[in-house]
Amino acid sequence: MSTSKGFANSHNRAAFLFLSPAFLLLAAFVAYPVIYAGWLSLFRWDGASAPVFEGAGNFVRLAGDPIFWRALGRNLLVALSAMVFQVFLALCIAYCLVRIVPAFSRILLFFYLVPVMVSEICIGLLWRFMYNPYFGLVNAAFGALGLDGLKRGWLGESGTAFSAVVVVMSFTYLGLYVLLFVAAVRSVPESVYEAAEIDGAGHFTKFFSITIPMVGDAVRANSLLAIIGSLKTFSLVFVLTNGGPNHASEVVSTYLYKMGFGSFEMGYAATIGFTQMMLTAIGAWLVFRYLKRTGVGGRT
Amino acid sequence: MAAVRRWTATNTVVLFLLTLHVLLVIFPFIWMIYSTFKTNKEFMRSVWSFPTSFSLDAYVGAWSGGALGGYAVNSLLIMAGATVLTVAVATLAGYALSVYRPRWMPAVELSLTAAMAIPAYVALVPLVVMLRGAGLLDTHMGVVLPTAAFNVPVTIFIMQAFFNTLPRELFDAARMDGASEWSIFAKVALPIARPAMFTAAIVNMIWVWNDFLFPVVFINNPARKTLPVGLTDFVGEHITNYPVMLAAILIAAIAPLVLFIFFERQITAALLGGAVKE
Repeated sequence: MSTSKGFANSHNRAAFLFLSPAFLLLAAFVAYPVIYAGWLSLFRWDGASAPVFEGAGNFVRLAGDPIFWRALGRNLLVALSAMVFQVFLALCIAYCLVRIVPAFSRILLFFYLVPVMVSEICIGLLWRFMYNPYFGLVNAAFGALGLDGLKRGWLGESGTAFSAVVVVMSFTYLGLYVLLFVAAVRSVPESVYEAAEIDGAGHFTKFFSITIPMVGDAVRANSLLAIIGSLKTFSLVFVLTNGGPNHASEVVSTYLYKMGFGSFEMGYAATIGFTQMMLTAIGAWLVFRYLKRTGVGGRT
Repeated sequence: MAAVRRWTATNTVVLFLLTLHVLLVIFPFIWMIYSTFKTNKEFMRSVWSFPTSFSLDAYVGAWSGGALGGYAVNSLLIMAGATVLTVAVATLAGYALSVYRPRWMPAVELSLTAAMAIPAYVALVPLVVMLRGAGLLDTHMGVVLPTAAFNVPVTIFIMQAFFNTLPRELFDAARMDGASEWSIFAKVALPIARPAMFTAAIVNMIWVWNDFLFPVVFINNPARKTLPVGLTDFVGEHITNYPVMLAAILIAAIAPLVLFIFFERQITAALLGGAVKE
């Protein structure tokens, strides 16, 4: 008995020591700055002169700042579009790759992953050509289809800028979810499909009544990944529109960047980031509580 | 046994649609590659056609017309520093998560998952204050430390997924021989973990190389800028010569693509290992 207790103690100590370098790094450069952001959000500060204590002033300003709330709404729209045009579309593609054209799955997956590997700055710069109002490919395509009325400066007009950015995001991140779903779809046992085939099920039936229920865990994990990624989004928006024109494609990150490093309102920038994080945490807590109560959450 | 499936019209249609879709997804890259062989005059005459001649002027212009080489060196240094730091601490932590199960381990896992969900921009303003105070603004180290920290949680999960695949008996045998916990890690686990560490390193290299938010905020000195940040400056200066601009974009994109071509299997394995854990 005493030996097993001794083991437990030495294991506890070893676990603590092995984890400590990672946790020191995380404490210094993730946890501390995040808490510090909460502290800075109580001040008005231009980054150079002495900070002026404001109390809840920044939060009052933020509560009445329509640009922030619209930016936050756009982050949620990005998440929603990611669910459809990244997660769901990727699941459809993964099914086709694994179940219909397996001989070509490796090469197609390779090309789907190319945009995942390349810097978002490069991708954004390339898409600025695609959307160019004078010689861009998107306008050229509409011209070729005889739809000259649809030609426009996609990134420069407030009506289309945000949608144009969302399209680029869908193209860029899709491959990651295709990869993750290919692995999940492959793990569904062949025998299940064979049983369905005997009953005469086609691909459509098999996809909706076998694949989707069987890869539920992957759907949950990938949806979570897509939502987290959508809340973090920065580089593509920055390089494509920088949130413009006139905040029409602003997301939380670009607004924070502008406030902090364009207008040097560091305290307000900290408030934006801190509030967004707290709202996300509250949202996540509510969702998990709901899932737990209704029992749909599975093993969460 | 399933009968050998016949290739039907459905398969042909699906293959055709997928090929069309994938071409659409990567078209900007295909266009970028062939356009760099055009002269600016040819580009202006027809933007989307294939080049009629083969000119390397754009690459010469891109390499000599700016500081791309210097940016690339900065990117390399930051990439090397952040990758080594992240993989080193994540290997230790991933091993601990996999092998030891103290009562407080679920709390550790939960806090790592939460850390993964925190957007880097929340920490942006405080990090600037901290780095300025430490004299690390405008230095490579100032980018390396926060970048490494933000990549640590997912890298821990990649390493944990690897250590989970090892049989427990491997460590128990060494423990029976009276080896210390450290020497079990260093002499038993670490040698087998090398391929997994390499895999984790490759994806970290790509992430750090492509990172934009921290380098653009923490570095103002043009001599220390990274490739993606320098590229945005470069594009602003060469707005009139499009093939040169595209060649510069290609130079910035080439390193991760080469890594992907050579290490496709490792990279996909790492992405799967990091994401399966949720």
